Amino acid sequence: MKQITEIKENDRAVRFMPVVQEAAIILAAALIFALVFNFLRPSGISLFGFSPAKIASVKPTNIPQITLGEAHDLFLKNKIVFVDARDPFSFEEGHIAGAVNIYPDETALHAAGLKNKLSPETIIVTYCDGPQCPLSKETAQGLQLQGLTGVKVLINGWILWQDAGYPVARGKK
Amino acid sequence: MKLQNFPTPLAPLLALLCRLALGIVFFYAGIEKIIAPGEFAVAIYNYRLLPDWAVNVLAVFLPWLEVFVAAGLITGKCGRGSSLLSALLFLVFATGLTVSLIRGLDISCGCFGASKASINWLYLLRDGGLLIMSIFTLFADRGWSYFIKRD
Repeated sequence: MKQITEIKENDRAVRFMPVVQEAAIILAAALIFALVFNFLRPSGISLFGFSPAKIASVKPTNIPQITLGEAHDLFLKNKIVFVDARDPFSFEEGHIAGAVNIYPDETALHAAGLKNKLSPETIIVTYCDGPQCPLSKETAQGLQLQGLTGVKVLINGWILWQDAGYPVARGKK
Repeated sequence: MKLQNFPTPLAPLLALLCRLALGIVFFYAGIEKIIAPGEFAVAIYNYRLLPDWAVNVLAVFLPWLEVFVAAGLITGKCGRGSSLLSALLFLVFATGLTVSLIRGLDISCGCFGASKASINWLYLLRDGGLLIMSIFTLFADRGWSYFIKRD
């Protein structure tokens, strides 16, 4: 009887070790994978570079505005990237020609792709529908948090643009 | 292939369900954080529990750990190791939440990436539930092979 309990206890100890080993393997694999992935992705962050001052400096909520005339001027010169902050359905039904659709929640997802579209001369202008619509400002703030600079808002953009008869497009692109 | 030990005995089946549910939760949580490491770093910083140099390291590492644990839980490979890590993670989260709630910090959880809602005691309750599920899985789970017999 004593032997049996001894064997059982040994068994338990032996069975517990693989669990810890498994956990260690997962920890190591995740660490290696995370470091490699962060190094390779364009939106990777510097490992030891966190500074609270940085968050404070990107937090200002005042997003500069742009007028319809200025925006159209830059549009003709190809120096503007329009970001449509409305939902995808509204976007499909009609948007400013060449605009990209970025809902406020999705700024992190699209920021890297948007960066690639920019040249030093282009600016980003967000818009949505109606003078009270908060989406364009939210997307603009989100893009700023992602490190994009020179973001402006065209208040009531969609309606103004349509009323002026400027180029629009339909569909997902 | 043949199904066996199903639906009784009940404990291994329950453990299987817990394991899969935890796997889905971790997978979702991990992916949401991987999408926006910068925002997750801010969420970690807001807890004011870590030195600045550790914030980004954790923001890079933790989401992938969650995804790997999710993979382990769902596939059953290293299943018990994953359950152990799952339990430890929820213990750490619970500690962080408790400290912050007691301090009265008005911060977002960061549990599933960036969300604007502030933490409250219900978050701790949810975390506790997941912790209990993890511990149960750790001890009662028998892996896929217990249910599926290969010919």
